[in-house]
Amino acid sequence: MGRKATDAVRPPAGTEMDARGRDGLGMSKETARCTVCGETLGEDGRCPRCKGTSHVWTIHDWRPLLTLGLVIVLGFSFTRLVVTGFNAKGKVLGAEYYTAGLAAMDGKRTAEAVDDFETALVYSRDNFQYRLKLTDALLASGATDEALSQLHAYWAQRPADAQVNLKLARLEAQRHHVDDALHYYQNAVEGVWPERTDPVAQRLSVRFEAAELLVRLGLQAQAEQTLLALAAVLPAEAPEQGRLGDLFLRNGDAARALSAYQAELNLKKDSDAAILGAARASFAAGSYLTARRYLVELRTETAESHALLEQLERMEALDPFARSATGEVRTRRTMAAFHIAVERLAGCGVPFAQALSRGEKIGHERDPAPWSEFASWAEQLAPMMSEGKLRGQDDVIESTMRFAFQAEVAAQKECAKPGLDDEALLLLAHERMGTN
Amino acid sequence: MSPRLGPSRERLVQLMATPVHRKYFETLRRMLGPEGLVSIREEQFFLVVAIAIGILAGFVVVLFRIAIAEARLWLLGSSMHPSAPRVVLVPAVMGLLIAVLAVRFFPRVRGSGVNQTKGALYIYDGYISAETVVGKFVLSALAIGSGQSLGPEDPALQIGAGLASSLGRWLNLSKERLRMISPVGAAAGLAAAFNAPITAVLFVIEEVIGRWSAGILGAVVLSAISSVVVERWFLGDEPLFRVPPYHLEHAGELVAYAALGVVGGVASVVFVKGIKNLRPRLRRLPQWSQYLQPGVAGLLIGIIAIWYPQVMGAGYEWMNLAMHNRFPWELLGILAGLKLVSTTLSFATGTPGGLFAPVLFMGAMLGASVGMLEQQLLPAITVPVGAYALVGMGALFAGILRAPMTSVFMVLEVSGNYSIILPVMICNTISYVISRGFQQVPLYDLLSRQDGLDLPSLEEERGQTILLVEDAMRPSRVRTLRGDETIESARAVVAGSGEDAFLVSLGEGRWSVLGREALADAANGEGSPVRSLVRARVPRLYQDQSLEVALRFIKDRPMLPVVHRDNLDLLMGVVSVQDILGAYRRAGLAEPETAASS
Repeated sequence: MGRKATDAVRPPAGTEMDARGRDGLGMSKETARCTVCGETLGEDGRCPRCKGTSHVWTIHDWRPLLTLGLVIVLGFSFTRLVVTGFNAKGKVLGAEYYTAGLAAMDGKRTAEAVDDFETALVYSRDNFQYRLKLTDALLASGATDEALSQLHAYWAQRPADAQVNLKLARLEAQRHHVDDALHYYQNAVEGVWPERTDPVAQRLSVRFEAAELLVRLGLQAQAEQTLLALAAVLPAEAPEQGRLGDLFLRNGDAARALSAYQAELNLKKDSDAAILGAARASFAAGSYLTARRYLVELRTETAESHALLEQLERMEALDPFARSATGEVRTRRTMAAFHIAVERLAGCGVPFAQALSRGEKIGHERDPAPWSEFASWAEQLAPMMSEGKLRGQDDVIESTMRFAFQAEVAAQKECAKPGLDDEALLLLAHERMGTN
Repeated sequence: MSPRLGPSRERLVQLMATPVHRKYFETLRRMLGPEGLVSIREEQFFLVVAIAIGILAGFVVVLFRIAIAEARLWLLGSSMHPSAPRVVLVPAVMGLLIAVLAVRFFPRVRGSGVNQTKGALYIYDGYISAETVVGKFVLSALAIGSGQSLGPEDPALQIGAGLASSLGRWLNLSKERLRMISPVGAAAGLAAAFNAPITAVLFVIEEVIGRWSAGILGAVVLSAISSVVVERWFLGDEPLFRVPPYHLEHAGELVAYAALGVVGGVASVVFVKGIKNLRPRLRRLPQWSQYLQPGVAGLLIGIIAIWYPQVMGAGYEWMNLAMHNRFPWELLGILAGLKLVSTTLSFATGTPGGLFAPVLFMGAMLGASVGMLEQQLLPAITVPVGAYALVGMGALFAGILRAPMTSVFMVLEVSGNYSIILPVMICNTISYVISRGFQQVPLYDLLSRQDGLDLPSLEEERGQTILLVEDAMRPSRVRTLRGDETIESARAVVAGSGEDAFLVSLGEGRWSVLGREALADAANGEGSPVRSLVRARVPRLYQDQSLEVALRFIKDRPMLPVVHRDNLDLLMGVVSVQDILGAYRRAGLAEPETAASS
């Protein structure tokens, strides 16, 4: 250093009084008096007589005070000028790095994009858009933990920010933290959206996303609640009614799905998607006639509509209780149903059914529960399966159809996938008996 | 011949000549005079000055922070990963320039500035020259902006103190006020640099003033608040670090923090011992090497920075990233170690700049590293890494700077997160205890002694034994006289005693002391009450008061009563100057200076 640290540098000597009796700072001599004894204070500010130290500042000392005030005003102005210039520079730099980051994202150079967005934030610390983009880049580069940490930190500052909540909801959904995801979705619905966006549309979109998540995960009760809430806020004329219907249908609420599709049809009568949706919903609700009516209205047939229609026709072909069925048709359909049911049971390895399908005598001993009851039943019905014996025997027809329905239901629980005719019988069973 | 007055002045003089108007003007004159309504005593004016200091310091520190940022942009560019040639050459070349300027023109700007401010307070009557302020501003901005591993807070402290000193001299404050003004400015400077007023106040009290002094506390607080208001006006009120919210889920997490405290304590000891050993060795080298040392430090730091640019400068942006899981734990540990080395190099070579930011950096990296490692070993621990980083900062702050209260509040203020206080307190305490166990003398005291100064230390004061009145008091050897008893009765007591002074209880907690001669020579009749002889009361003492307080009260009195706080007439004992001296002797402490002993 060259100089010892102990070299004492004394303060400068006291100021001198000028000819007017004022010191160099313009303080009045008359105020430089001790408040205890009135003696003039010495250069060190102390009273030589009673050692009182108080200088009293009065309005006469306006010069130094005014100067100090001016210095503060000037200091404020200068600092403001400098800060404004620096902030403007920072904004420009931040924008440059942000643009570079966007370009890197487009070029799939995610690590570079992360660096650029981080640098942009160094120069524009409070820029929310940059921060959101940074989290996108982090997610794209696989740094989920870091993205989550950034978002949590930001959320702690702005818990009502809808975009932050939405990002958090999506992240938590990815990590299978459903409760947290739903919490953030709810916050996003209730939160504050940027002014340039359409908050109503955004909120609807978020509700749909949350419902989609629940339906996908099979959380039926929660999904139903969410869908009901969504239905309550969705205007009847909204184009999203069809989407709502899809979600209701996937969640197993066919009746509400149908209402939603019908609402969509009120807006777009010729919408094949809505018609098909209504048909599916009607079909799922067991309103087959309604479903058929919708399917017939379709302008363009699809594989699904074709399959549904075929299913309905098959049902009709097997339904002995259809209004249009004559006595002969009833008989034939009943016999067909009986044979289909027996074949189904035979396919499931039920001994009596196998014997029956081979035309052999039914033996009860080999049939385990619950098939033994079916075996007794079939033994009674089998001799009646001819046109001559069955015609006019409504009670036998009724009993036969009940046998067919119950056999199909039991087989569905015990055996492999049913065939098309078996499915038709099951649907008929659902319609007639309300079975699942 | 008097000068001719204008018509309005003549009229005024005529008005003043009339009795009514003369009285009116006299009253006005008195109102505006020293004892009038529009007057303020210096001690009150000092508080106003403190606010002005805070405002001005706020401006200067804002400009200082911008100067550092501009220097960085100019010297190293805008990227967080500057090119290798720039990273190596800039700190080296600027180090040389800074050394030349510091050695030749600004010798008092070397170092952090904390000890220099303390020296101004205790040795130089509060004097810090304006050139020191300018030099510290410019050279620290260049040093930190060029990548030396130092921080802006300590220089801001010295800049604020220097500003206050200059302002105090300009306003011609009394010597007593001038001496105390530098801590006021120091608090303002530090508060603005850190955006943390409570931390600044506590640090100035713990480290700069070195003792709790109620007289200055008000001014220090006012200046700190004023400067932070100014700083936030210009730079916003965002906390320094954005940390994810933290909640203590399970008490077992505190064990994890305790482990961090141990690591932090060890790291603190390593750092302090590094500076303790390297700094004097470098100072003993030939004089011409003082011009080269900062440049060499800059070169070495630049070489490290080719691979680890995080070690350059204060490093706040990297700390923020570390709190958000940016780096793997191994890299965090490496960064903590490299920053320790870099800061030791920068500081020991005398480059102007502070230790706050590097200490926080080391703490953040070390804390995050330990936290991530603990999470890998014990997956049940789900504390965010940011929480560990914050606590790590506090641990190293407590262990290195040895300001325990400041370290706790610092973490709270820089993060705005109160829920972390319990882990911070545990970790800081452990780090502090370990650091104190292996390195008795705190860092700043170490530095001042290396500079040949012996400055007071709050830590040393904490270690001192405080003697109380109860350590010195003794039972009274004679019956206490009552104020309402007769002089005749009192004389009987006096006659039977060998004492020269007697306590008199006047009732309602009032006491006095009468000498033997006063009782013997009393002209009052023997039937008069003793009270009639009492000329003045004496102050009471209590057992829990310190002997220093007792000495202030006892003055030249023969003794003072020690009474019960609950019953002021109940005498617990008496104490005299000899009793006090005897207590000090028994405790093996140096006796205080008194009128009796000097």
